[in-house]
Amino acid sequence: MFVARSIAADHKDLIHDVSFDFHGRRMATCSSDQSVKVWDKSESGDWHCTASWKTHSGSVWRVTWAHPEFGQVLASCSFDRTAAVWEEIVGESNDKLRGQSHWVKRTTLVDSRTSVTDVKFAPKHMGLMLATCSADGIVRIYEAPDVMNLSQWSLQHEISCKLSCSCISWNPSSSRAHSPMIAVGSDDNSPNTMAKVQIFEYNENTRKELTSSGGPTKFEIHIVAQFDNHNSQVWRVSWNITGTVLASSGDDGCVRLWKANYMDNWKCTGILKGNGSPVNGSSQQGNSNPSLGSNIPSLHNSLNGSSAGRKQS
Amino acid sequence: MEKMSRVTTALSGSMLTGRTMHCHLDAPANAISVCRDAAQVVVAGRSIFKIYSIEEEQFVEKLNLRVGRKPSLNLSCADVVWHQMDENLLATAATNGVVVTWNLGRPSRNKQDQLFTEHKRTVNKVCFHPTEAHVLLSGSQDGFMKCFDLRRKDSVSTFSGQSESVRDVQFSIRDYFTFASTFENGNVQLWDIRRPDRCERMFTAHNGPVFCCDWHPEDRGWLATGGRDKMVKVWDMTTHRAKEMHCVQTIASVARVKWRPECRHHLATCSMMVDHNIYVWDVRRPFVPAAMFEEHRDVTTGIAWRHPHDPSFLLSGSKDSSLCQHLFRDASQPVERANPEGLCYGLFGDLAFAAKESLVAAESGRKPYSGDRRHPMFFKRKLDPAEPFAGLASSALSVFEMEPAGGSMGWFVDTAERYALTGRPLAELCDHNAKVARELGRNQVAQTWTMLRIIYCSPGLVPSANLNHSVGKGSTCGLPLMNSFNLKDMAPGLGSETRLDRSKGDARSDTALLDSSATLLTNEDNEETEGSDVPTDYLLGDAEGEEDELYLLDPEHAHPEEPEYVLPQEAFPLRHEIVDTPPGPEHLQDKADSPHVSGSEADATSLAPMDSSFSLLSVSHALYDSRLPPDFFSVLVRDMLRFYAEQGDVQMAVSVLIVLGERVRKDIDEQTQEHWYTSYIDLLQRFRLWNVSNEVVKLSTSRAISCLNQASTTLHVNCSHCKRPMSSRGWVCDRCHRCASMCAVCHHVVKGLFVWCQGCSHGGHLQHIMKWLEGSSHCPAGCGHLCEYS
Repeated sequence: MFVARSIAADHKDLIHDVSFDFHGRRMATCSSDQSVKVWDKSESGDWHCTASWKTHSGSVWRVTWAHPEFGQVLASCSFDRTAAVWEEIVGESNDKLRGQSHWVKRTTLVDSRTSVTDVKFAPKHMGLMLATCSADGIVRIYEAPDVMNLSQWSLQHEISCKLSCSCISWNPSSSRAHSPMIAVGSDDNSPNTMAKVQIFEYNENTRKELTSSGGPTKFEIHIVAQFDNHNSQVWRVSWNITGTVLASSGDDGCVRLWKANYMDNWKCTGILKGNGSPVNGSSQQGNSNPSLGSNIPSLHNSLNGSSAGRKQS
Repeated sequence: MEKMSRVTTALSGSMLTGRTMHCHLDAPANAISVCRDAAQVVVAGRSIFKIYSIEEEQFVEKLNLRVGRKPSLNLSCADVVWHQMDENLLATAATNGVVVTWNLGRPSRNKQDQLFTEHKRTVNKVCFHPTEAHVLLSGSQDGFMKCFDLRRKDSVSTFSGQSESVRDVQFSIRDYFTFASTFENGNVQLWDIRRPDRCERMFTAHNGPVFCCDWHPEDRGWLATGGRDKMVKVWDMTTHRAKEMHCVQTIASVARVKWRPECRHHLATCSMMVDHNIYVWDVRRPFVPAAMFEEHRDVTTGIAWRHPHDPSFLLSGSKDSSLCQHLFRDASQPVERANPEGLCYGLFGDLAFAAKESLVAAESGRKPYSGDRRHPMFFKRKLDPAEPFAGLASSALSVFEMEPAGGSMGWFVDTAERYALTGRPLAELCDHNAKVARELGRNQVAQTWTMLRIIYCSPGLVPSANLNHSVGKGSTCGLPLMNSFNLKDMAPGLGSETRLDRSKGDARSDTALLDSSATLLTNEDNEETEGSDVPTDYLLGDAEGEEDELYLLDPEHAHPEEPEYVLPQEAFPLRHEIVDTPPGPEHLQDKADSPHVSGSEADATSLAPMDSSFSLLSVSHALYDSRLPPDFFSVLVRDMLRFYAEQGDVQMAVSVLIVLGERVRKDIDEQTQEHWYTSYIDLLQRFRLWNVSNEVVKLSTSRAISCLNQASTTLHVNCSHCKRPMSSRGWVCDRCHRCASMCAVCHHVVKGLFVWCQGCSHGGHLQHIMKWLEGSSHCPAGCGHLCEYS
């Protein structure tokens, strides 16, 4: 059902991330060669590199697009312990004539003491926010109070996840009725630790209460689901645009698709292999035993109970 | 002391053993240096100067060279170096500009040997000649380098860098007379020790200070330099001009660089700011360190490989007052943690996937390579025969695009564009949308629309023209929604309809054989037969039966009916008249007959659906008799909308919400509706369906939504006559008092869509301008402007 289109990326080292923009017509790649490239889809469906620039002084792990309402904005994060926000400059220049666009750095986020492994903008309705996670297992939430000023970001929350985080993903659902969800994957490779893919839910109401009582503002997090099928490091998690399917890829070279059924049980619904060959997944799917709805005591328990996820609307 | 030296010398021949370990120093270290026997290390700092022996399990303090009651500034060391030929000979660079040599062979407690007070400022570096026993070189902050012969009291020669501070000086290991020096202005100079007047060669190596340099132990031409610009560069000095061979990018300024013994391309670096780790790089993979040592809690100030021929032991001193021995096999390898895969789900269902080529190759190696032949473009490997180094990695980037048939998001776009949400009677909207959904192969959605039509187009709510039609539909469709759960329960209670009940049973078995689309169609059938259920006559039933066939796509019947279907308004009045004169008591019989009638008319396939409709009929009749209002179903409809929204098809939820309007709105709480609207609008905007999105915003009843397109849209317009900006007062220009929105083609005032060139402010009717531009690219107003429209 898929047709593959190969692209000569011309990165000088491993590519660590690919990211489509909001409309699916631009793509950004980042690599260990410390550069980010932006690709635009032509009418014929080919991808052309329209920008390539050095972003960090270490491997760039992730690159991600902000909602176009905030402009053409990218965020990247790196082994050099920083995350950065970039904006495309509109205007006539020599770059334009060559079919190249120009990107400038708007801010550098330097809070992490270890490699920043992922960065993601929050769904638009939450404002201009982004989340980063780092190798020491800390998820940080930043917010730009003024959406017109991309150079000012304040650190809103720090959540300790205990496990070395490799990837993070906001659920794109923009519901105000149920809480935003963040999926976190871990590259911890010890076999006996917690599940490698976790879905966290953030309870905004609780936060408001805490804020009004003068206490520290905190994300109330509980785990909605966790999966350990990959049996190895999980490198990447990604939601489809309706927020119903979560794709995760692991060191086993496979992509697994997860979907909640009507009972809110998350199940593996498909396996794709890296080289595009189909996997006769029936047997493998039989093995999938996602442990569901179990709260991890070390995290704040939600007031809503464990499996309160998507059905709350 | 003599005795100790002998013991350690004996050790030097054997294999080195040890483990990763560290010991606490009393004070921060500035530099370390290893004795040539690899068994002792000297640590020097502002207030520390000690010799430790490296034991199997630990460091043992052997000697404290910092003696005397009142420590002088001479003991505040910026650098220390241990002679590589003489175990007893050490030299330190003091922060007050003094160069001190130490003789461990002295019998007294104070081992200080000679004092050279020639530099005016801090001495940054001292260096012994690798093969000459008595030659010492120093580089200072004052910009001078001095060469000392230890047999004399003062310097042999002075070299002036003609620039600011000297940061590092290093004798070439291979060339007897050559040394390199690095400067704070970014230059590297090459000197011949016999010619102090001017340097042999000078080049700019870095942007900003060059903090360190190191000659390659084997390759005589290779010099590694590290600077504040976070780079390590490897230069080939054998060529006429220094040639940059490799450039390693680190994450912080480079304070020290040391080639790794026995590994031609490896070097170790540490930083003087921010970063506390020590990295070992393979210069051929300049972006990812091969190994990383994370033991230190503060800046690492000195690194040294323990033995010139052993690549696995690295010693380091740090500002955190500790001395460490690192084993290479205990190092963490950032490559291992580097994510080799990138994955992204695109808007149209495409997946972009980048993977390390070796991973992909390994995958395909496991099974026959047929996969690659089928998709020749698949993971095309960049074949580079010149690639000599296995550690180099590259990724294959590919986009998996959904085939049009394979569940791409095309249906969403089609549906969004073709759905009718307003402007027509409810029944038509439902029919239209059902048709759209069916044509896109979304049968469940189509059926839902049909049901909605039946439920809500009841006598009270729709024009009487549609009356019986809609009533019939309402009842039948409500039932499937209720999962047909109470069909049997309800029917017997109706007494007189037991016969129908039986027929229903038959119908069940028949419909079971039909596929989903057929069942959809049966609903249509039902509605007509039910129409007869409600007081109607045969004629009506027949006519509708034919319409049913149209739904069934029976070509014979469909074609003649088509005009009528396209213009349903014409058909309704006719029925209306018939409706008014129905013989009530006959209706049961009608029902019994109607299937047979239609069965005889149509072929066998239509018979089964008729039967099923039949069975449903009876129930619907009952419902109708008890005067169940459409409100009865609102719970079901609400649950259905929820179901669709939960499934991710928020499009359906919002469309139904808009089409049904007040009928269902009150049953769904405001917040949920708002969420559906925002989600749907967000999706529409993703697909750049701006018009549909705007329509949805306009049709929404939620305040929060409908205000969306009333905010922050400002057009700045110039008058097309006087070219001055228009005030906010509309379309008459303040200055020339003429209407600004004249069509440049037909010279009439434009009402509605006005398109204009932003360059010359002239424009007009969209169609007129489009037509004009086909023929000419100049402005139709004759102003000579080459108009541009996006």
